[in-house]
Amino acid sequence: MAVPKRKMSRSNTRARRSQWKAVAPKLVKTVENGRVTYSLAHQAKVVTDSAGTELFLEYKGRKVADV
Amino acid sequence: MPTPTKGPRLGGGPAHERLMLANLAASLFEHKRITTTVTKAKRLRPYAERLITFAKKGDLASRRRVLAVISNKGVVHELFTDIAPAVANRNGGYTRITKIGNRKGDNAPMAVIELVLEAVSAKQAVVGEAEQAAGNAAARDAAAAAPVASAESADSPESAESAESAESAPSAASADEVAAEDTTVSASEGDAAETVVVEEGSVPEADEKK
Repeated sequence: MAVPKRKMSRSNTRARRSQWKAVAPKLVKTVENGRVTYSLAHQAKVVTDSAGTELFLEYKGRKVADV
Repeated sequence: MPTPTKGPRLGGGPAHERLMLANLAASLFEHKRITTTVTKAKRLRPYAERLITFAKKGDLASRRRVLAVISNKGVVHELFTDIAPAVANRNGGYTRITKIGNRKGDNAPMAVIELVLEAVSAKQAVVGEAEQAAGNAAARDAAAAAPVASAESADSPESAESAESAESAPSAASADEVAAEDTTVSASEGDAAETVVVEEGSVPEADEKK
């Protein structure tokens, strides 16, 4: 098994980790029944009833799958 | 021709990839809708649609070529007897892929791939019916259009004759040709009106000569 020959310095470790960033997802803004909702583009959305219970996944007005 | 696959292949080897695609296609034809990863769904789409194209052809050679991929005879029978007639009017695009987010265990992007079994949209259905009707009932449509044209040009018998002669020439009836017949009828009516005007003009001249 390959093993590192030298200890990695704290500087190098921190330089590597400084490049590790989170990317904000691209959201689509839509208005449904007077409420503004944000959702991911090109992906099925979860449909909920008035109580907030998750019913099924929907995409372009078509039921895709159960949750 | 499907787009060549990009990126790494599925599975641990060529045989593994073939088996995975065949099993995915068999599951898709059996259940009509399966949930899998986006990568596998994208690889499955051209593979499964090619098998459906064989099924639409429907002869024994096609059935054997499908059986070379899918070993389950029950699934192949269902493909040829149920799925192929359901997509008979559809020119490709037999499957639909919808992304449904990432899997919980390994965060893999998942998708639902399903057969598009509902009828072709109303507009496309009308176009298909029109194409069939144009082939089948061309003579009947021409016969139906003839009395309409004659009724429109009932005032002048000469124009009606010209319209009928114009109708007898083209055999394939379509909306465009009916419109063309209308234009010929109106043009002939216009000629008749012009002749009337000339006659009216000639009458005063005759009076003047007298």
